[in-house]
Amino acid sequence: MASLIDGAAGTKKNYLTAIKEAIAEEMARNPHMIAMGEDIGILGGAFGVTDGLQARFGPERVIDMPISEGAIVGTACGMALNGKTVMVEMQFIDFISCGFDQIVNMTATYHYRTAGEVNIPMVIRGPAGGYGGGALYHSQMNEAWFANSPGLKIVCPSTPSDAKGLMISALRDPNPVLFYEIKELYRKREIEEELNAGDDAIVPLGKARIAREGADVTLVTYGQNVWHCLEAADNLAKEGYSAEVIDIRTLVPLDEETIIASLQKTNRLVVVNEAPMTCGFAGEILARMTTKAFRYLDAPPARVTRLDTPVPWVKPLELHVLPSVEKITETALQTIRF
Amino acid sequence: MATKTNKNSNEQSRPRDLLTPQQMREMLTQLYLARYFDVRLIKEKKRGRLRGTLYSSHNQEAILVGSLFGLKGTDWISPIHRDMPAFFLKDMNAGWRNPDRIGMTIEEVCAQVWGKAGSPGRARDNWSHIGSKSKRIIHSTSMLAGTIPAAAGVVYADRLDGGDAVVLTFNGEGSTAQGIFHEAINFAAVHKLPVITIIENNQWAYGTPTHLEYSLEDFARRADGYGIPGLIADGQDVLDVYDKVMMAVEHARAGNGPSIVECKTFRAYGHGDHDDDRAAKYRPKDEVEEGRSRDPIAVMKRQLVALGHMTKEEAEQHLAENKGAGEVTDIDFPEEVVAYLNEGVQYAIKSPLPEAEEGGMWVFKEVE
Repeated sequence: MASLIDGAAGTKKNYLTAIKEAIAEEMARNPHMIAMGEDIGILGGAFGVTDGLQARFGPERVIDMPISEGAIVGTACGMALNGKTVMVEMQFIDFISCGFDQIVNMTATYHYRTAGEVNIPMVIRGPAGGYGGGALYHSQMNEAWFANSPGLKIVCPSTPSDAKGLMISALRDPNPVLFYEIKELYRKREIEEELNAGDDAIVPLGKARIAREGADVTLVTYGQNVWHCLEAADNLAKEGYSAEVIDIRTLVPLDEETIIASLQKTNRLVVVNEAPMTCGFAGEILARMTTKAFRYLDAPPARVTRLDTPVPWVKPLELHVLPSVEKITETALQTIRF
Repeated sequence: MATKTNKNSNEQSRPRDLLTPQQMREMLTQLYLARYFDVRLIKEKKRGRLRGTLYSSHNQEAILVGSLFGLKGTDWISPIHRDMPAFFLKDMNAGWRNPDRIGMTIEEVCAQVWGKAGSPGRARDNWSHIGSKSKRIIHSTSMLAGTIPAAAGVVYADRLDGGDAVVLTFNGEGSTAQGIFHEAINFAAVHKLPVITIIENNQWAYGTPTHLEYSLEDFARRADGYGIPGLIADGQDVLDVYDKVMMAVEHARAGNGPSIVECKTFRAYGHGDHDDDRAAKYRPKDEVEEGRSRDPIAVMKRQLVALGHMTKEEAEQHLAENKGAGEVTDIDFPEEVVAYLNEGVQYAIKSPLPEAEEGGMWVFKEVE
C-alpha cells in the first residue's frame, strides 16, 4: 500500500489519491488522529480512500463502524472532546442526514456553548454530487444544511492539489469541518496533477482560487461545476467574451474579497452550484454580492443551480435537473448582454 | 454477564460492605444536600430572585448520590436536566470545598442556574447544559440520549491513552426510545467500552407514562439485546443504587464493557416547575402518593438506624423527608448543607451578567 500512497516523484495523481495521501500523511504526523467510518478498515472504504490505512495504523486508530451515522459522529465528538483529532467518513455524503443532530446540535455548537473551553477538531468527509446516475440518495449536495448551522466550516475541492491541500488544512483545523469530495472527480484522468508532500501541499481554508482569468463575466462556483464553468468559458470565448472562473474552495469561511475584486473588473456575476436553488449557497453568494458589490454590477446577478427537485436516477432526468455547460453558457450570455 | 451469574455471591459480599459508618452517614448528608438544592431553588424562584425553568430531582436523589459516591475523580459523568446536583456531587468525597476536587463547585452550579458570568459556560445555554473538560463532565444538549455517544468516545480516547476511566451517563426512561440510545450502546458494547448507562425510570416522560414508551416490564432487559449486563436497582435506596452501579463500574474497569442500570423511581412533581400544576391533573392521585411514599432520605435513615450507624434521636434531628418544597424549612436540613448552599447562592447573586457582545463570540476557535 505504501507505494500506492507515496507514488513516485513527478507522477500525476488523481483526486482520490490526493485525499488518501493527505489522510495518511496526517495520521503519520499526528499520533492522536483517529479515522472512523463504515467499511473503512478491512475493506478500505467503499471508494478506496482509506485503502491500506488500517493495516498501517491499526484497528484502534482506524475503526470500522456499525451502520450508525449518529454514533459515528457522536463518538467522534467525544474522542475530540478528550484530545483526539478525528476523521469521519460518511460512506456517501447523503447518509449524513442520519447523523444530523450529532453534527448540528452536539458538535457544531460545542465551542460556542462552552465559551471556548472545548473545541472539536473533526473532519467529516464523504463522496458527494450528481452526474453519475447515483439517484436520490447517492447524488446529493446538502452543504446548505450545514452552512445554515453556525460552527461548521465547509470545504469542497475541485482539483487533486486542492483536495490534498485543503484536507491537510481541515485535519489541522481546531474546528469541525465538513469536506465534500466530488466522487465523479475521484478517478478523472484529465484532472490528474503532481502533488506536493506535507506542509508544501497545504492550501489554507478561506482562500478562493481564480481558475481562469477573464474580463466580461465572473462565474463563481465550486466542486465539479468548476469544470463545467471552465467549459462554458471556452464556449463564451468563441462568442467573443472572456469569463473569469472563481473556485471558492471553501463555503465557510467564504473569500468574499476575491469575488468582489473580480466583480470590480467584470461587473457581471453568475453563481453556479449543483444544490437545489431555494436557500442554497448560490443564493447566499448572490445576496452578499448584491449587498457588498452592488455598485460594481451592470446586470442582475444570476444563478444556475439544480431545479428544486431531488436528483433523479436515469440520465435524461438527471441532466434535466442539474446545471449543465449549456445552461451556464446561456445564463452567462444573458447576463453579459443584459 | 458476570454480574448476573454471580448474583448469589454478590448478595453475600456487596460493594456497600466496604463502606464505613462514616461514609454511609456522608451519603445521607449528600441526600440532604441534593434535596436542599432542589427546594432552595424553588424558594429562590418564589421570592423572585431566580428565573428560568427548574427540573426537580426531588425523590430521585438516591440515584445521583448512590451512583456517584464510589466513582474516582478521574471518571467522567454525563448528567441531564433532572440531575443538576450531580455537577457538584461528583468527586464530593474529596472534600466539599477542596479546590482540587474533580467536580463543580456549588458556586459554579448556582451561577449557571442564575444565568451569570460565573457559570462554567458563561450562561450561554441554560440549566443543566454545562460541563467541564477538566472536571470530566460532558456538556449536555436538549436532545435526550444525545450525549451517550460522546460518553463512549471520551472513554475510547481515554483507553487509547492508557487511562482507566469509566463514564456514567444519566438518562430518563423516556430518552431510551431515541435511536441514538441504541446506536451508542451498541457501539460501546462492540468495543467493550466502560460506559455505564443509568436509567432513571421515573415512570413519566413529561406527560407520557411508561406503557406508551416501551413494551418491557423491566427496562434493564433491553441490555440482553446488546449482550451486556442489565441490572435493576431500587432507586429509592441509595445503598442498592451504590451496589448495582459499583458492580457495573467494577465490571467495566476490568475491561468487560458496558452495563445498563435501571433505577426504579418516581418523578415527584412535574416535568419542570412550569408543569407542576398540570402534572397534578394528568397523573392519577393514588399513583403519585404511592410514588412519593418511599422518600430516599427516610429509607436511608431507617437503614442507618438498623445498622447501628445512627441513633434514632440523630435520625430525627432533621426531618426533610416526606415533605414538599413548600413545607420544609432550613431547620429540616443539617446546618452544613444550608451553609454550603448559601455560599453558592450568594456567589450567584453577586456574579455579573455576561457581556452582551459575548453572544457573538466563540462560534469558531481561531486557527493558531
